Amino acid sequence: MSTTKDQKLHGILAEFRNPKELTDVANKMSSSGYSKFDTFSPFPIHGMDKAMNLKKSKLGWIVLVHGILGFTLAIAMMYYMSVIDYQINISGKPFFNAPAWVPITFELTVLLSAFGAVFGMFFLNGLPKLHNPLFNSERFKKATDDGFFACIEAEDDMFEAGKVKELFQEAGATHIEEVYE
Amino acid sequence: MLRPTARVAIINNVKDSEITDQQMSEEVKQTTYWKSLKELADNKEYQKFAEREFPENATELTDGVSRRGFLRVMGASVALAGLAACRRPVQKILPYSKQPEDVVPGVPLYYATAMPVHGNLVGLIAENHEGRPTKLEGNDLHPASKGATSIFNQAAILGLYDPDRSRYPLNKGNKATKEDFTEFAATHFANTGQRIAFISDPNSSPTYNNLKEQAKSKFNNSTWVTYEPFGEDNVIEGNRIAFGSRLRTHYNYTNADVIISLNDDFMASTHPNSVEYAKQVSSRRKVTDTNGEMNRIYAIEDSFSLTGSYADHRLKLKASEIEAFTYALAAALSSRINGLNAFSGYSNQFSDHKWITVLADELAANAGSSALSVGSQYKPEIQAAVAAINQALGNTGNTVNYLDVPHLDDQNNNQAFADVVAEMKAGNVDTVVMVGVNPVYTAPADLEFENALSNVETVVNLSDYVNETAKKTTWHVNHTHFLEAWGDGYSYGGALSVIQPQIQPLHDGLSEIEFLNVIVNGEMTSGYDLVQNTFRGFFSSGFNDRWTNILHDGVGTTDNFNAVNVRLSSDFASAMNQATSNVSATSGMEVVIRPDATLYDGRYANLGWLQELPDPMTKITWDNVALMSPATAEKLGIREQAAGKDITDVVEITVNGKSIKIAGWIQPGHADDSITLTTGYGRDGVGRVANSYMDYTAGGVNVYPLRGTQNMFFASADVSNTGDTYEIACVQDHHSLEGRVLYRQATLSEYKENPDFASFESVHTYPLPGLGEAIENGDDDGPISLFEEQTFPDYEPQWGMAIDLNSCFGCGVCVIACQSENNIPVIGKKEVKKGREMHWIRNDRYYVGDDADSPQAVHQPVPCMHCELAPCEQVCPVAATTHSDDGMNQMTYNRCIGTRYCANNCPYKVRRFNFFNYPKEYLTTGDDPDIIQMAMNPEVTVRFRGVMEKCTYCVQRVNRAKIEAKIETGSPKPADGTVKTACQQACPADAIYFGDISDNDAEVARMKRNPRNYQMLEELNTRPRTSYMAKLTNPNPALA
Amino acid sequence: MSKYQYVPEPALVKGDHDFSSLTRLVTDINLRPTPKLWYLAMLGANALLMVMVVAIGYLIWEGIGIWGLNNPVGWGWAIVNFVWWVGIGHAGTLISAILFLFRQDWRTAINRFAEAMTIFAVMCAGVFPAIHVGRIWVIYWVFPIPNQMQMWPNFNSPLLWDVFAVSTYFTVSFLFWYVGLVPDLATIRDRATDKIRKVTYGIFSLGWTGSNRHWWNYEKAYMILAGLATPLVLSVHTIVSFDFAVSLIPGWHTTIFPPYFVAGAIFSGFAMVLTLMIVARKIYGMEDIMTNDHMEKMNIVILVTGSMVGFAYIMEFFIAWYSGVEYEKAIFLLRATGPYAWAYWTMMTCNVLSPQFFWFKKLRRSVGFTFFISIVVNIGMWFERFVITVTSLSTDYLPSSWDYFSPTIWDVLTYVGTFGLFFTMFLLFLRFLPMVALAEIKAVIPQADPHNYDEETNEYVAPIVEVPEPQSEKV
Repeated sequence: MSTTKDQKLHGILAEFRNPKELTDVANKMSSSGYSKFDTFSPFPIHGMDKAMNLKKSKLGWIVLVHGILGFTLAIAMMYYMSVIDYQINISGKPFFNAPAWVPITFELTVLLSAFGAVFGMFFLNGLPKLHNPLFNSERFKKATDDGFFACIEAEDDMFEAGKVKELFQEAGATHIEEVYE
Repeated sequence: MLRPTARVAIINNVKDSEITDQQMSEEVKQTTYWKSLKELADNKEYQKFAEREFPENATELTDGVSRRGFLRVMGASVALAGLAACRRPVQKILPYSKQPEDVVPGVPLYYATAMPVHGNLVGLIAENHEGRPTKLEGNDLHPASKGATSIFNQAAILGLYDPDRSRYPLNKGNKATKEDFTEFAATHFANTGQRIAFISDPNSSPTYNNLKEQAKSKFNNSTWVTYEPFGEDNVIEGNRIAFGSRLRTHYNYTNADVIISLNDDFMASTHPNSVEYAKQVSSRRKVTDTNGEMNRIYAIEDSFSLTGSYADHRLKLKASEIEAFTYALAAALSSRINGLNAFSGYSNQFSDHKWITVLADELAANAGSSALSVGSQYKPEIQAAVAAINQALGNTGNTVNYLDVPHLDDQNNNQAFADVVAEMKAGNVDTVVMVGVNPVYTAPADLEFENALSNVETVVNLSDYVNETAKKTTWHVNHTHFLEAWGDGYSYGGALSVIQPQIQPLHDGLSEIEFLNVIVNGEMTSGYDLVQNTFRGFFSSGFNDRWTNILHDGVGTTDNFNAVNVRLSSDFASAMNQATSNVSATSGMEVVIRPDATLYDGRYANLGWLQELPDPMTKITWDNVALMSPATAEKLGIREQAAGKDITDVVEITVNGKSIKIAGWIQPGHADDSITLTTGYGRDGVGRVANSYMDYTAGGVNVYPLRGTQNMFFASADVSNTGDTYEIACVQDHHSLEGRVLYRQATLSEYKENPDFASFESVHTYPLPGLGEAIENGDDDGPISLFEEQTFPDYEPQWGMAIDLNSCFGCGVCVIACQSENNIPVIGKKEVKKGREMHWIRNDRYYVGDDADSPQAVHQPVPCMHCELAPCEQVCPVAATTHSDDGMNQMTYNRCIGTRYCANNCPYKVRRFNFFNYPKEYLTTGDDPDIIQMAMNPEVTVRFRGVMEKCTYCVQRVNRAKIEAKIETGSPKPADGTVKTACQQACPADAIYFGDISDNDAEVARMKRNPRNYQMLEELNTRPRTSYMAKLTNPNPALA
Repeated sequence: MSKYQYVPEPALVKGDHDFSSLTRLVTDINLRPTPKLWYLAMLGANALLMVMVVAIGYLIWEGIGIWGLNNPVGWGWAIVNFVWWVGIGHAGTLISAILFLFRQDWRTAINRFAEAMTIFAVMCAGVFPAIHVGRIWVIYWVFPIPNQMQMWPNFNSPLLWDVFAVSTYFTVSFLFWYVGLVPDLATIRDRATDKIRKVTYGIFSLGWTGSNRHWWNYEKAYMILAGLATPLVLSVHTIVSFDFAVSLIPGWHTTIFPPYFVAGAIFSGFAMVLTLMIVARKIYGMEDIMTNDHMEKMNIVILVTGSMVGFAYIMEFFIAWYSGVEYEKAIFLLRATGPYAWAYWTMMTCNVLSPQFFWFKKLRRSVGFTFFISIVVNIGMWFERFVITVTSLSTDYLPSSWDYFSPTIWDVLTYVGTFGLFFTMFLLFLRFLPMVALAEIKAVIPQADPHNYDEETNEYVAPIVEVPEPQSEKV
């Protein structure tokens, strides 16, 4: 591949044979202090979070907030509609008929929590992101099939193309390439 | 609704000479009216106009879906479903140029009038909206009504707007005008020598009878016959045998402690005086406390009648056995009281029957306060025997009167009719004039009336429909409805009334007095003048005031028939000896022919309301059947109907040579080896409702072919099972209470011992679950509840209803009254068969008792219960049914989306669903929607397809009363009795009480405090506002 | 020797598969040109779909009267079908959610499949409440939308709870399904050769790269969704059962309904999954992934839930008698002996009797027999709903109002038609979406576990199943 001035380097991508090697290299990268690195695999790899020493996901909090929101909305809606806005005597039941409101409250809580979970996850992952520099690499297509890749971005403060390639070679990368934006 | 204050109707009798301003404006209204009606008279412009105006109708008319077709066929009745809520055809009306006195748009006016039922008048009040009558109620002042009505009175309004009514005279089948007819009459009847036969309905009108006398004297070769298929001739003849003169028997059951009906269904609407009798009988069964007393009713009959179901004791006998039974009873009595020597020593198979002794003792014990009656179709001798018994008991003057009725012919009309027909056959008659009657359909088969008619040169008839008879005439004249023309007459008991028209004749036509006048005098005189002339005779002085009064009150003097002080005639004994010496009862199978409970002799056959009104006992609609006992059915191999599918076997019945095929039906409590048939069905070319449609298999079978001069009532017959089947639309599938305590009753003595017999605890032997706990928590409204129930504001009236099962005898007039008041559609046999009947109040009939062969039949009217904790309300997802401050369960039609969840969750199953757009279909596919719409009650919304509907406690009446009360007193609580629901107002037994239960003095509140009061399904804690008062029976210990 | 023998879990994927062979096995189906058979099937499905469209069209034109409903029986086939389809729609989310929480890895073979079925079944179910109302054009009044009447829905009504429950269930199931799909869509995107596929799959895969930072959040999200979906699944059929349980009609007013409806739902859901799976895996040669072990496991679930349902039936009877309420007693006797006895006994045979055969391992593993039973069960479950809905209404409190319900041709056509909708959707799914959760199944084969690699050579070493030493029996 040819490096031309006008192309901006995105990072260096290395392919590995199997989950084990990927986990090991992830360990190396994080221990040698890189921060803007990532590993790619067709499926989540057990223990990868430790290897990459990822922080606990914030998703839980997002969902909690949405759950509470759903709960409050449900109660507020029903209270406004049947107690404040238009009181109707139905079967002589009280206007604030708590037992009858349980199902809807529950459903709305779950619904909004679910929204929180799904869209929260997309948000945290910065998806949808239809263009990704990595897609420029033909090999990278294997990442969703049987390929195991690691990448260190040029953004990283410690980034030095030579060092990075060296690191990958030592880790036994089967292939190393530079990826441009 | 306030009690109708009857007003003088001056709308329709304006003489050009005497037009006042106010009448002028009336005239304006009329002329516009006239115009629109002229347009209606099928002229092409109007058709085009209509199609332009409502394209969707135009498409409807060409639409041929069979169900649609059927609905179209439904004509009037159906159309009564009325002004479609959404697409209402535009109608042009002119505003009053001057506001006429009394007419406030939107506020109905009430005028007194009267309806002729078999010639006897029943006083009515007509509700008028902007000049069109929409509802008929009883007239409190009229003795034959006392504010109540029969099903026929209620349905009359539908008759007025029936588009199938004859609309113009016919000359040999060609359209003519009444002027043409007058012309013809003037010339034809100028020849007074010709041999004329007059065949007329019975008619009590003095005007009519004057003309009748004139006719008799003018045409010296004429014969006059009064023909009524189920007339009172035998009774009158019987009285002649007993007392030597032709008298009418008029009972006064108010004084009767013991009532014995020998196969006489005097409470059913088919009896000419049913309303008065029902009032009297039920008034003696209003037990309000433990000191109350009741009359005791015995019924001996073949088929289960309303009277029989109301009786304390019922004995089933074949119709033919009644004769022997009567004589046996007379004989038994002869040994106990004087005056029956004619029977002393006589005995027959019944003489040692348990009932004979019991009845004899009972009668003897209640001499003077008992009433014995026998079916009016029984031969004169039996009538005479009964009259003699009443006389001997000293009942005459107390419980029974023999009235000298001036207008009764002094001939046995059944005989006279037969003779006249013979004459006609022999060609000895030049002209036949028929007023109202329909003998081609109703005459005894063996007279072959139709042939006889063909031998007559000129046949003239006056009738409401172009019916079987009218089709065979040289001249047919269309008869005006009694709400369209002036008339007069007497009630059964002799109260004089004027028939006051409520509207200009829709299709012109002649009233029977105008008709007869044309024939006699050859000139057209308005009924108004004819009637006034008659009354000028009555009211020699102060005519105008007295005339105004009789119009206003709807009734004048009430005692115009004087009760004759009768004595047993000398040759009574011999007559009886002769009769008793050859008593015959049919040995084998016998068939009995009765007037139909809802169609009578067929004259009401085109009224969809009555066709769809379930028969009070069988609950069958749209058909007549051959009723038989379970045993007989088994003998004939007639199967019990399968669940839900009322497919039943067809039997063939043959009476001396003539035979018909008709669906068999099992009637528990029917006499064995006996079959009951009812008349009025199997019509052809009368009207779209009446006609029998084989493709829809509706309309029943004509049974008159089996009726002969020798067997007007019953005959021995051969009956066989054809193996064919026929589908019946019966609204009640299940006839047993399954041991459920929905209907509660006790004997009078049991009630006195334990007044609370009807309470939940006494019928269940354990207290109402959860009530104890509730009371501990200081809430005695009902069982303990999870919720803090809403309470009702005390500044509002709280509506409630109590239905006295001890008064209700199941006639079904409440159903028709409700249908008329609330614009309830008729849906047709097909839909009824699917179980989609729309009646807001239904009359459940259960058979109770262990003896399947002679059970007790009980009637329970079920309207909406207006539960305070209504199960229907909480399940509606869109809150379309909710509760009002005055405690009504309201249905918001335009909010309803039609999930039917409310109907599912209603334990009383009183909600009705518009499965199709009944109103629109009827409105736009029946012809003359305009005419049909005139019968609508403008105060009640017509329901759209896909919405739920149900009893509203006549909220439109309630709210009017509240508004008026608020205007007058400032409080929305109307005085007790000012608001009556339609069902309550119509009920001849006063079984329904309605009012403000928060008012302790209100009648309904008093009734609800009565220990007999109970709630249906109280344990469900629905807290119904409609409650029932348990039935009481007054059995004779001797028969226990 | 010991009584107890340690039986190692059978391998989840049969045959010698590695990552890429699995990829090909699954995604080739979507990349290959469309087979003739598919067009044929689609034709049939569309024909049925048209039947539904016509039946509903006529319904809207004429009115509810074209169905066999009458006065006591206000709910008939429409509601029966609704409950039936919703029931079927339970297996999917159950398999993906509950089995996921219980770490039942065998779910991965069938969850995608089952979830798809769920969504389509719920769509079919959703049709009925919408069309069974008298005035379909104002059905939107059940939603709390401001309107000229200034009225709001009635929150006391179980029917309204249904509206919320079913729509929530549909939405959440759909999200769950889609989240699962994203990585696999990415796989197809990367394997696709033509532009259209590249673009479409590209869009719907949202630019998924398989980054482990993403996987990290992704797994978290999936876990939470599973946690939410589990109570949701249970709540939906509970609320559906409230439509009946909250009313006061004998035979409806029954507190046992919620658990018994849920059991019934799982019962019929698994049966339906089996019906479809057995056909699909044959046609698409997926025996390696959807193995007989899966089938057996599911048969066991059917056996268990079937027995639970059976127990519920008997318990209903017992309670009816024990309560001493005459109306309750009457309705249950009438079910077994009355005009609808035929329906009742069909239900009993299909639901209670037929699953009992699965006590035998041989039958559990017999493909043909399983297929047969899976269909019988669904017939039985339809009749269960019929018995509950119709018999209770047709003979309730007032004998005078008792009436018999019989369906019309339009009832039948509407029901049959919904199969058209179901199969149309399902065929589209089989054609265009990976029918197995690829990423998940890859993750459960031994090669996916870093521990199955040699520390030195980093070569794959197949794991050895350790059979523990049998303990000596204690006396």
